[in-house]
Amino acid sequence: MQFSLAGILAVLSHAIPPFLPLILAILALLVVAQLVSRLRGYRFADYHCLPAAIVALLAGLSTLWWLPMLTASRLAFVATATDWAALVAAALGVALITWLVLHPLSYLVRGPNRD
Amino acid sequence: MTRPLESPRLDRRQLLKLGLGAGAAGLVPLVGLKASTVSTRARIVILGGGAAGMAMANRLAMRLSGARITVVEPRETHHYQPGWTLVASGVWQPDRTLRPNADFMPRGIDWIRQPAVGVDAEQRRVSLADGSIAEYDYLVVATGLQLNYHLIGSHGIGSVYASLEGATRTRNAIDEWLAKGGGKGLFTAAPTPVKCAGAPLKMTFTTLSRIKDAGRRDAFELEYLTPGTAMFSQPWINDFLKRRFDDEGIQRRHYYRLSAIDPGARQAQFTFVGPASEFTSHHELRQEEFGREGEMTEVIDYDFIHVVPPMSAPDFIRESDLIARVGPFRGEWLDTDIHTLQHNHYPEVFGIGDVIGAPINKTAASVKAQAPVVEANLIAHLQGQALPARHNGYTSCPLITDIGKAMLVEFGYDNDMAFLPSFSFIDPKEESWAAWVLKDYLLQPAYYAMLEGRV
Repeated sequence: MQFSLAGILAVLSHAIPPFLPLILAILALLVVAQLVSRLRGYRFADYHCLPAAIVALLAGLSTLWWLPMLTASRLAFVATATDWAALVAAALGVALITWLVLHPLSYLVRGPNRD
Repeated sequence: MTRPLESPRLDRRQLLKLGLGAGAAGLVPLVGLKASTVSTRARIVILGGGAAGMAMANRLAMRLSGARITVVEPRETHHYQPGWTLVASGVWQPDRTLRPNADFMPRGIDWIRQPAVGVDAEQRRVSLADGSIAEYDYLVVATGLQLNYHLIGSHGIGSVYASLEGATRTRNAIDEWLAKGGGKGLFTAAPTPVKCAGAPLKMTFTTLSRIKDAGRRDAFELEYLTPGTAMFSQPWINDFLKRRFDDEGIQRRHYYRLSAIDPGARQAQFTFVGPASEFTSHHELRQEEFGREGEMTEVIDYDFIHVVPPMSAPDFIRESDLIARVGPFRGEWLDTDIHTLQHNHYPEVFGIGDVIGAPINKTAASVKAQAPVVEANLIAHLQGQALPARHNGYTSCPLITDIGKAMLVEFGYDNDMAFLPSFSFIDPKEESWAAWVLKDYLLQPAYYAMLEGRV
């Protein structure tokens, strides 16, 4: 059973709406954190914050636990290569978004690095 | 409602248009272009507005210009039936499976909100419940099937097939059984082709999953009773299931056909249809064979029973000229060619979905594969051309083996029901979380896109 590109878009048009508020909320948080901090002098490459990276890493790792549970499943049932690829990709996504939010937020709280 | 019969014709311009359309159709899988439309004044009646009927209504409405398309469907609410096992297992809330039919009904078609009660195939007429008549040039039979609970003597205690309410009550019955802290559960299979043949297996697995989660596996006894030797049509999966049931301590009893239930006494009577009458266990059981005198029966006590009723085409189809007269589906199912889906005696009639006489294929996934075939072949016939499309028997069962994991089992008619996997990265022989997520989150959107004729 094959799906065309139009078919995939048709399926997504039904799949995404229930999650749209969550997606928009996360995007809004990301954009607001980045915009506000940049207006106050934040530059990604010039600012270092180890705690933000650690928290992002922990958030990513925690995905291995809560994402299967959120889908009424459990980590023990993540068994195939596809399962792990999907779960690790989700964990990386969560870690990345967390970092992209926390990194500028920590700048707003702590101010620029003084080194 | 009567209209003059007109022979559908195609002029040169339309033929050219069709040729261009056919060329464009080759690009569809790549870029999603729509096939060209065809002008016709044909009257097309679609019996049923379920998965198959709705998909055909949308597909034909998009492809045909000027056609008078009528959908005969009394229900206002569309049920996503593949979700009922998840409702009965306590994973989904019931309302997650409901949508108004009006959300999917295409514009410009005539929606008759009453049941059909008869078909006169010779006169090309459909009789409706209010006594009126719908005449057709083409008929698409997409009625689904009927559940023949009366053939087992009493109503079931739990049955995911019955209805959404039935699925919800099944969940409640399982809850009550689990709350008792132990006892015997019986799970039956039917002696006829059934829709979603994996459903009773899923209910067995999800109930077992809940028992194990409760930490009282030893206090519960599970038995699976089936009229035949096979548990599933696909051979590899059949062997897998037998091994898994044995490993999980679920007792398998073959050649047991449910013949009566005494709900008050919590007893079920099974008729033993041993090897000598094995032929009755698959596809060939007739109504009059139920309750024959002299058969061996066994009464089994239960605390919970999940019932799969015998199934057939709706009575008004069984009583019409459209029903199979010979072969394994005689008297019970629509007489269609299982590849072209055209009726074997009435070429202007096509069948799709649960109602057709086919060895497998009573799933929504089958409808997704059948709908483009019926669309192409009906339009080709309308234009006096040879039927170009062929259904390969594709069907799919996201076989839930535990609450939280599943196997995406896809197969077809050919090569001894060989696997036909849609995704190279999902092995049909492996239990996986990804297949579960697909079942839980993505198959319902794909189903709705199918209803709209978009996949």
